[in-house]
This record gives sequence, structure tokens and C-alpha cells, in this order.
Amino acid sequence: MHQFEAFSKTNDSRRGYSSPSLLLMPVTSLSSLGQSSPTRLQSYHLYRKSASVVAARGVEVAMEIEARPSWLDLPATAAAYLVWEDLTAVLPNYGSSRPVKKLLQGLNGYAVPGRILAILGPSGSGKSTLLDSLAGRLGRNVVLTGRVLLNGKKRRLDYGAVAYVTQDSVFLGTLTVRETITYSAHLRLPTTMSKKEVAEVVEATIEEMGLHDCTNRAIGNWHLRGISGGEKKRLSIALEILTRPRLLFLDEPTSGLDSASAFFVIQTLKQIAIDGNKTIITSIHQPSSEVFTLLDELCLLSGGEAVYFGNAKLATQFFAEVGFPCPSRRNPSDHFLRCINSDFDRVNATMRGSMKLLGDKEPSTDPLSKLGTSEIKAILVERYMSSEYAARTRKQIQEISKIEGLTIESNKGSQATWWKQLRTLTKRSFINMSRDMGYYWLRLIIYMLVSVCVGSIYFDVGTSYTAILARSSCGAFVSGFMTFMSIGGFPSFIEEMKVFIHERQNGHYGVAVFILSNFLSSTPFLAAIGLVSGSITYYMVKFRTGFAFGHYAYFTISLYASIAVIESLMMIVASLVPNFLMGIITGAGIIGIMMMTAGFFRLLPDLPKPVWRYPISLISYGSWALQGNYKNDLIGLEFDPLVPGDPKISGEYIIENIFGIDLKRSKWIDLMAIFVLLISYRIIFFLIVKLREKASPVFRMIYARAALKQSTLKRRKHSFSSRYPPQNPLALQEGLSSPLP
Amino acid sequence: MKTAAADGRSSAAGQVMVEIEANKPPGNSLVARGLSPLSETLWKEKTDTEFIGDVSARLTWKDLTVMVTLGSGETHKVLEGLTGFAEPGALMALMGPSGSGKSTLLDALAGRLATNAFLSGVILLNGRKAKLSFGTAAYVTQDDTLIGTLTVREMISYSARLRLPDRMPWEEKRALVEGTIMEMGLQDCADTVIGNWHLRGISGGEKRRVSIGLEILMRPRLLFLDEPTSGLDSASAFFVTQTLRGLSRDGRTVIASIHQPSSEVFELFDRLYLLSGGKTVYFGQTSEACEFFAQAGFPCPPLRNPSDHFLRCINSDFDKVKATLKGSLKTRLERSDDPLERITTSEAIRRLIEYYGRSQYNYTAREKVDEISRVKGTVLDSGGSQASFLMQAFTLTKRSFVNMSRDFGYYWLRLLIYIVVTICIGTIYLNVGTGYTSILARGACASFVFGFVTFMSIGGFPSFVEDMKVFQRERLNGHYGVIAFVISNTLSAMPFLIMISLISGTLCYFMVHLHPGFMHYLFFVLCLYASVTVVESLMMAIASVVPNFLMGIIIGAGLQGIFMLVSGYFRLPKDIPKPFWKYPMSYISFHYWALQGQYQNDLKGLIFDNQTPDLPKIPGEYILENVFQIDVNRSKWLDLLVLFSMIIIYRIIFFLMIKVSEDVTPWIRGYIARRRLKQKNTSSMDLVNRTPSLRGYVVEIESSSTSSS
Repeated sequence: MHQFEAFSKTNDSRRGYSSPSLLLMPVTSLSSLGQSSPTRLQSYHLYRKSASVVAARGVEVAMEIEARPSWLDLPATAAAYLVWEDLTAVLPNYGSSRPVKKLLQGLNGYAVPGRILAILGPSGSGKSTLLDSLAGRLGRNVVLTGRVLLNGKKRRLDYGAVAYVTQDSVFLGTLTVRETITYSAHLRLPTTMSKKEVAEVVEATIEEMGLHDCTNRAIGNWHLRGISGGEKKRLSIALEILTRPRLLFLDEPTSGLDSASAFFVIQTLKQIAIDGNKTIITSIHQPSSEVFTLLDELCLLSGGEAVYFGNAKLATQFFAEVGFPCPSRRNPSDHFLRCINSDFDRVNATMRGSMKLLGDKEPSTDPLSKLGTSEIKAILVERYMSSEYAARTRKQIQEISKIEGLTIESNKGSQATWWKQLRTLTKRSFINMSRDMGYYWLRLIIYMLVSVCVGSIYFDVGTSYTAILARSSCGAFVSGFMTFMSIGGFPSFIEEMKVFIHERQNGHYGVAVFILSNFLSSTPFLAAIGLVSGSITYYMVKFRTGFAFGHYAYFTISLYASIAVIESLMMIVASLVPNFLMGIITGAGIIGIMMMTAGFFRLLPDLPKPVWRYPISLISYGSWALQGNYKNDLIGLEFDPLVPGDPKISGEYIIENIFGIDLKRSKWIDLMAIFVLLISYRIIFFLIVKLREKASPVFRMIYARAALKQSTLKRRKHSFSSRYPPQNPLALQEGLSSPLP
Repeated sequence: MKTAAADGRSSAAGQVMVEIEANKPPGNSLVARGLSPLSETLWKEKTDTEFIGDVSARLTWKDLTVMVTLGSGETHKVLEGLTGFAEPGALMALMGPSGSGKSTLLDALAGRLATNAFLSGVILLNGRKAKLSFGTAAYVTQDDTLIGTLTVREMISYSARLRLPDRMPWEEKRALVEGTIMEMGLQDCADTVIGNWHLRGISGGEKRRVSIGLEILMRPRLLFLDEPTSGLDSASAFFVTQTLRGLSRDGRTVIASIHQPSSEVFELFDRLYLLSGGKTVYFGQTSEACEFFAQAGFPCPPLRNPSDHFLRCINSDFDKVKATLKGSLKTRLERSDDPLERITTSEAIRRLIEYYGRSQYNYTAREKVDEISRVKGTVLDSGGSQASFLMQAFTLTKRSFVNMSRDFGYYWLRLLIYIVVTICIGTIYLNVGTGYTSILARGACASFVFGFVTFMSIGGFPSFVEDMKVFQRERLNGHYGVIAFVISNTLSAMPFLIMISLISGTLCYFMVHLHPGFMHYLFFVLCLYASVTVVESLMMAIASVVPNFLMGIIIGAGLQGIFMLVSGYFRLPKDIPKPFWKYPMSYISFHYWALQGQYQNDLKGLIFDNQTPDLPKIPGEYILENVFQIDVNRSKWLDLLVLFSMIIIYRIIFFLMIKVSEDVTPWIRGYIARRRLKQKNTSSMDLVNRTPSLRGYVVEIESSSTSSS
């Protein structure tokens, strides 16, 4: 304990923040300062100073963010000391004769505030598994044993209790950086905070992550060029530190970044660690030399075993002691990985095999070429166990374990009220939809074009004998084919779904809020589409002569309802299918079947009863829309007969005898039915998402237990973690991958 | 015609070689080793002599400047006064931060600059001013466009058959293929499929090596690689680079641009060309680079990857990073002993460039360039395809057939969907009969089959787009022509389309009980086949025009919707408004012809019940003329003929589209760029030296801290 105190003291004195007046500043004055609108910078300074001072001292004064009543009575300043002992993770696999695969084997380690712990290792070495185990995000199919203590207490770190920055950054591409952070803040920070306070937190976070140069730039999506990869990464970190967590996990924050951006990201992390007295644990893959120098603690893994744990600067010393000194002109991390990455064995074997090396014997002075990496690894692991580095680590662990009394508030998920979440989400979703060209605008244009086409083909349809068929096919085309075009918005919708899934996983808001907000924000657009294309078609085709508002309104509302139903249907499809392409195919197939049973291609009375008439045509929005439209269109009209001179044919007669539709039911009931379908589809979507969340972990756990009893493991050829998805050009093209895990 | 051209080319090359044999240039010692046995066989084959001479490539460039005109009419100097050389036996790395001009230099040397880029300076290959056209030198691009369903061995051997001369016996070709597999270290995964979006295959590093293997199949003397290690982990990157080193030791000239190599990868390079902002920072031996930096005042600290250090010195993004960090009030930068902490990188770059300009390294490089360019060496022959047109078409057809039969998403998935959809249709119209309501039902059934079922063809679009990507890469490298591709695609798709239309047509026909009689059945299936093929051809034509896959689907769906609308079902033929919809559109619409044919096929000769039993029965001809408004005098086979001619027309359109985008568009772009340049700056006329390219050119002026490309 005293060690860490000393550490904090040096931190303090270095920054010269040890002024007692600041320390004793009462909470009330701080909160009043927050409200009395000082300049942004001033309050930021105050916030910075006070936060760091208190955090460093560990004084139980709650003042994380000024005037935050819900936190006031909590010991929120607790710094996070994390230790883990004898951590072992096994992946059971059902129905095979091989032993259980060990992902992690007896790892020990610690993470302390103010320092960055980097988990380094070749791919498949268990970096991500260790990170997940510590963060409590491990899949239920992996069985974990050992102790993980946070501030001396054993506890499971749930989603939301700590911040976890995943490798993939999922944002709404049309929003700017500031908007993204602001909306996220409104979604998660307590509702009691005033707008101004939230804005201050947002600004502070932007400053902290060095994002002030790109605050007003859009993030960018597949058709919009936006911020760079490094900025995206820093943005995802910014979102996670909004709620001021004490413990921050990052999964390969530098992957895919060039050296300057990677350096920037890690440098920022270092600042956060020191200034905010945060504990940072990150996995990292092939850091460049500059990045490596920024790391404090290093955990070197290979095949789930610890090759080294301790001060990053001392790692080269350890390697030299064991007999594998790092050459002077080499990046130490490259050297470590070269020593323990078993892929190099394969590379060498293959090269020897391809007679390349036989003809090309280059004198190698490298000691590494004599030994295989598996041998080197074995030596290193063995030597590490008995080394003073390991002893030092164990001692540290013991000391930290003794620390007690510090508890970390579990601000699980969001602290905003349901109502505020709904408002924020609706607003965000609306802005996204209005900026994304492909979401609704493109479709609006296509709809206008198609309705002009339809309108000109059926131009002034009249009441001649052939007009009977023309009117019915026009109605069918509008309600069938035009709604079909809704599929065009599927890609944009999938993007939004991805963001939803991501935020849902982090517990930012619930499923119901998402469904409702999506419905609300899409309503204006769908209404506009319905109105515009409905009016164009209606007035070009001239269903009625003169002004018949009732008919016109019915036509438009029915069109709107049909489109909205299709949207809801596509939402369900999106939650079920594995990828985007399958989604379009499935959606098209379902709509096709609905069109077929709508009563145009085959009259409703003629439809075979068992399947097609009874469940399907009732579920199909198409049949309701068509019936309603026929009634709306034909009732009250009179058509010319086939042979001139015969009596005129009334619309009612046509509906009953030609289309075989029941006239007793009002057209408004048909419209109602569509709205009922709309609501039930949304409910189905809700149920599916809920079921997935609840059921799938349970199934996994049952599976794991059953498999563990059998104690067998089928060796999987490929990496078990889903973090390295297969590289596929199609998916890279424009987000063809599935929206749901 | 291709054969003749290929023959002519290789005989011309032979002559030149004999000519050169007479005055064999000195300096053969530069080649560390002779040709590999496999290379020798190929060269013997090509020249028909026992000639094994200096066929290596020495590339020099002097005062190379590249200027790019942007859309706004501004010019932008991408490269400025570069001088250097590349020799066989030494692996050369082009290094620099992103946006420093690595790729442009590579493109300039390979003769692949875009049409809006203008080049001045001298590039000499073996002392001659040779225009490196497509295929002279092999160029490996960053993206691996491979056919995912083939195994590595198949991929390489199909490529061999596509390009190696016909008269070369199959054993030799196979030896060459096996040799390439060995050389690239692919023997472990030779029989593994490459993998696509639904098929897990070989790793990224292996893919990259397959791409390189495809290019070295023709044993080129000169090999350009654009970031061969990007996206690979350290072991794979090491393997790829080690293989490249092997290739260079074999007497080839290998130039690779590289971005952030790891320590062990960096050590494999013999020569380093360091660029920043289009200017030379260093050119010379890799091993001496550290010394150069130390002399210039930027020594590489211990335990540092030298390449990381170099990039740290010359990457101006670090300035931005520092500025931003300072901006956020956290100026506690600890390493103050580092000279780089005291000055900005732009200052460091300036100093380094200036220092290099007057250094010994620059001087020796210039001397060497002069020395090499004085020696007039071999004129290297083009490495394009030497196979005959028939061979190309045959191989392509076979490859494409294998691909289609293995790719689940290409036809199998569609077959499944077709069966499901036709069973749906079949049950809905089950035993349609000849009642009064069945008149309309038959019409609706036909229109649904031809409208909606053909619509499902869109499902194969993604796979086709993948195919097109492979085609574009191979076309760019001159492996085969557009005609061969179009023909092979048509032929290989035929069996699948026939199968699909036969199965779904049969299902539909017999379930619904359409007009009985074998000829009627045959017509129905043929008509379905023709419609499906027309949609395929239409989608092909769209794929050649539209930039991405989503736009393609939307446009395809829209077009088909309009075609369906004017097909005569939704609106009777006589009611369709004349001006636009009737006259061009309904005749262009394939649905129109298919429906007309099918209505005749189905209704002619049948007799239907009337509304009430006491009224007289209605003959099919009467319905055709009065209800569907179809001309009964035109034979239904004529309609089918129209459909088949549409297939051909769409394929021709597809061919023309590719030709236009390949030849006309770059020419126009280049013309516009030159016009702009002339308007802007009449003095720099010497820059107007156009090089052919199919690539678009994009310059990022504001290359902020972008992710590694």
C-alpha cells in the first residue's frame, strides 16, 4: 500500500498540485462553481485539478464531476487496483476424444492506477481471452478458474461496471464527433445533470482525447469520407471514458493504425492514466518502437502461458539474462514476438522445404535461428517462473490484495431515465436518417420516379371497361412492387442496427427504447414518401374526378402503412439472418410470397385454403392493403360494359363478383389490420432480440458444462475467438457482415 | 489473331536476344546466381536457342518528377527530382510515411501512372528508353483478387494455361506451376481452397504469396510490389519478404513499397529508398542508413527498430500529434534528450533532404545510374499472355465452370430459391383448369413466373461482381482479352441456367397443369431459360457500368420493375401510353416478349367455361385477342427468337462497355487533364508525356493521420 501512496505523491509533486487549499475545497463550492457558468476552460481546469488531486489522495470526497448528486454519497474516487492469481481458462468442446483446450494457464498479475498494462503476444496466444476474463466479458462457453480481485474484493465485473473499448468501432457515420459524444453522454449520464454540465463533460472529454481538431467533422461511412482511423479509435475511447470509469480495458487499440496515429492513441491513454489516475489494461499487437516506450507494465503471453510479467523496461533485461538478448537495432517488442511466435517455426520449416534455404545458405549470426520458437518459449516460461521478476510480481500481488475498503461504484449501464433515452435516441436517429443519403432520400427519389412511371402508364385511367383491370393492376403494383423498393434502405438500417447491438451490449439503453425511437424517427420520412408518391400516383392516374379528399387520404395512408410494415419486416429479417445479402434475398422472398397471396395474382377465393389462404394471406399486409384499396377505389364508380348498350357495371358488383372480396367489411378495418400487423411485427422483433440475449448465453453455459463433464475437446483448426473474422472481399466492400453476433 | 501477334512478339524478342548475344554486356557478376533451372527452361523455350545470357533487368531513373492535375485544375507535385537505380540480386524497399509518394514512384517506374499524372525525367531499362507496357514487368497490387473457390494449385495452373504458350507441353507447364508453388513456399496449402465470403480458406499471408506466385509464373525479370506486407502479421510479413528476397537472389530485380516493416522484415531488404513528401531522404544500402541518419544528426537510439526511427523522423504527422497534445494542455513530454523533441519533423525532413543532397550517398547513386545507363542491354520481352485465343477461352470456361459449381452463392442457392418459389406458385395455382376464373389465373401465373422468378436472378450478382474483379486484375496484367471472358462466361453459365430453368419450369408446368403437349412444355422451359439468361446478361451489363454492388442491385431491380410494368400484364398492350412506354420501352422489355409467347403457348387451342354454364364456351384465341390483346398471327417462336437475340445484344453491350471504360474513358480523362495543364501553365510543356494506365488517380492533399492503407 505505502508503495502506491508514494507513487501518487511523486505524481502530485511533479505536477505541483499539492496546494492544500485545493484539497480542502468543499464539494458545495465546486458544485456552485459548476453552476455559476465560468468559462469552459476555467471549469475544465477546475475539473481537471480537483479530479486528479482527489483521485491521487484517495480521499473519500465525491466530486468526480461537479454537482453530481447521485455520486456524492458514493466513494467514487476509489482507484482501481486489480489483481489476478492463478487464472486459468479452458474451452470445453463437446463430443471428442481430445483433452480440454487451455486458453490461459495459471496467470498472475496486477494492474495499478496511473499505469498502462499491455498484454502482448502473437495471435492466438490468449491476449483477448485474458482481457475478457479480467473485464468479465468472457463468453459463457469458456470456464474460468482462479481469483480476480478488484481492490481486494472478489467480484464479477459486469458489463458497464468497467469501460471496455472493443476493436471494431461502430458509429453512426453521419454524425460529427461532437454529436456522437454528446448523444452518448445524454444517453448515459444521469438525467439530473443539467445540459450545461453535460456539455462541459463532453468538452472535457474531447480535449482529453485530443479530438478538438475534428469535433465538427462527420465520422464517415461507406459513401462519405470522414475522420481517420486513429481519430475513430480515439473517439471510441472517448465514448467509454465519458462516465469516468476507473478501470479501462482496450482490445488492440492500435490495430490498423499507422505509427503516428498509434503513437497518438497510446500517448493519450498514458495521459488519461496519469491525470485521471485510471487503471488501463490493453492488449496490443506489434507495437512500433515509439509505442513500446510508452508502455509501463508488460504481460507477455504465448500459448496461454506467461512468458514475462512486469515492468516493460526490464523485459529486455530478462530476455538477455535468459540468453536471448535483443539486438541493438531492433524493436524490443518485435524481438519478443520473434522469440515466442510459433508461426516463425512454420515459416522456417516451409522455407527449408521449398529448397530455397538449401541453395541460399546465408550465414546467420542470429541465435534464434538455431532454436525453434517452441523451445525458446519453453525456456523462457521455465526461467520466468523461477526468476526474481516473478517473485516481485507475486509480492506486489500480495500487497495489493491487502488493500481494502475501496469499492468502485458499479454504474451499471445508463443512469438516464427511460424518457430521456427515448428522446435522445429519437433525435439522434432522426439526424442520422436525414443526413444519410442512402437511408431515405435515395429511396424518396426512386419512389418519385417509379410513381411518375406508374402515373404516366395509367394516366387518366377513366371508367371504360378495360379500366377495371387497369385500376386493379395499378393498385396491385403500387401496394406490391413499390413497397418492395423499401429493401433499398436495408444497408443503412443494418448500420444503425450495428450501433444498437454495440450499445446494447454495453448496456446503454434497452431494446424497447430502440424500437420505439426507430419507429418515431422514421415516421416523418415514411410519411413523406407515402405522401409524395401517393399524391403523384393519385393525381396522375385520376382515380376520382374532382376533389375527393377521403379517397386520396385513404390511398396515401394505406401506402404509408404498407411501407412501414415492410420496414418492420426487414428489421425482423435483419435480426435473424447472418449477413446482408441473405437479408435482401430473404426479404425479397417473403415480400414475393406476400404479393402472390395478396389477391391480385390469384383471387382470394381461388387461393388454396390450407396454407395460402388461411394463415398466409391473413398475415400478408398485401391482401389487406389490396382489399382496402379496391374498396376505396371502386365503390361508388360505374364502368362501361364490354358491349356498348348493356347496363353500366357498378364498382360494388365488380368487387364482389370479379375480385371476390367481401363488401361488408369497411375499408377502414382493412387499414386497421395493416396497423395491427405493423405493431405486431415490432413486438416480434422485440421478442427475438430479448430471446437471443436471454437464451443464447444460457445455452452456451449448458453446453460448456455438459462438455466439461465429458472432459473432451475437439481440436478446432481455427482460432476460437471471433475477433479475427475471415478476410473476405465481399464483406469488406460495404458492410455485408451480419448486424447481430 | 492473338496467336499470330504472340508469335510475332516472341520471334522479335528472339531476334533481339540473338543480337544482344553478339555483344554481351559486362557486369554479369552483379547477378549473385544464375537463373533458376525453371527460369532457364522457359527462356530456352521462348527463344529456341541454347541462349542463357544476361536477361536481367537494370532499371535506372533520373530526375524523375511527377505532376498531377486535380479536378479543380490545380497541379500538385507528387514526386520531385528522384534519382535511383535497381539491380538484379538486390531487394529494394521504397519506404516513407503515407502520402509520401511511394506508390506513385512505383507506378511511374512500372509505367502504370494514371492519365492525369505527368512525368518528366528519364527512366531507362537496361540503358534503353523502354516503355514498360502492361506485362513487361510484373506488378503485384495490394488487394488479392483471387477466385475463392479454387485451390492454390488450381489457381496457379489455370493461370499458367491462360498465359503460357500453347505449344509448351503440359508436363513443362506443370513443372513450372510446381516450381512456383515451391518457390513461394505454398506447398503446405497447395490443395487448400483460397476462400471467399462464405468459405474459410488460406490465410492472408498465403493469399499474398499466391498473388505474387501468379505474377512470377511467367518468370519476369522485373517485379514491382505495392505494399506486399500490409495487413499481414509479423510472421507472415517475414515469410513474404523472405520469399521476395529469394526471388531477388535468383537474379530478378525486385522493388517493393513498404509501410512500417517490423524489425526482422526490415533487415531483409538490401537497398532502401526513403521518401518524404515526394523527395529523396535517403537512397543506398539499408545497412548504411543508420549511419546516414547519425551523420545528419538523428542517431537511432538503441533498442529501436531503425525503420521506426526513420519514419519517426520523416513522418510529419507526428508534428500534428505533438501539436494536438500540446493543445490539450499536457505538455509533459518526457524524452527531452531526443533531438526530435526539440525540432519539428518538418524541420528534420528539410535537414535530412538537404544533407542527402550533398552527401556521398547521393553522389555514388548518381555515378552508378550513369554507369548502368551507359550499358545498352537486353530489350526485355512482354510478359503478357502467349496462349492462343482458343486456349484462353477454353481454360477460362473451365475455370469459371469450376468456380460456379463450387460457389454456393452463384447458382446453387438460387436453384434452391427457385425450387421453393416455384413450389409456392405451383401450389397456389395447383391444377388451374379451364374454369372462367382460370383465364385470369393463367395470365397471372405466367406473369408471375416471368416477372418475379427472373427477378431472383439478382441474387447471383455479388458472385458475379467478384468474378469481374478477378477479370479486371487479369485484364490489367494482359492475361486475356475481353472477348475470351465474355464467351467463357456465357458458356460456363449455360449448363447451370439450363438446369435451373429446366427444374423450376418442369415443377411449375406440371403442378399448374399448363397447356398439355410436349411442344408446349418445351416452349415454356425454353422461354424461361431465355428470360433468365437475358436477366443475367442485363446484370452483367449493369455490373460493368456501376461502381458498386449495392447500386447495381438497385438499378437492376428498378429496370426490371419498369420492364415488368410495360410487359402487357399490368397494363394491356393497347392501353399502354404510346409515346414512351409503348414504343421504345415495351419492345425493349424482355418480359413483353416472354409473356406474349407464353400466353399464346398456353391459351391457344384451349376452351374455357363462361361466367355461367348456360353461356357458350370461350375459345383461347378469343381471349388472347380480346382480353390480353395479343396478335395471334405472330408465331410464338418468333417471340422466343427475339428473346435469344436480346441475350446476344446485351452481351455485346457488356463487351462495348468494358472497351469504352478501358480505352475511351482514360483517354478522355488524360485529354482533359492535359487541357487543364496547358491552360494553367503553358511553359511546362515538357511534362506532357502521357503514360497509359487504367487506374484512377486520387491524391490526398490533406493526409491527416490516416490509418495505414
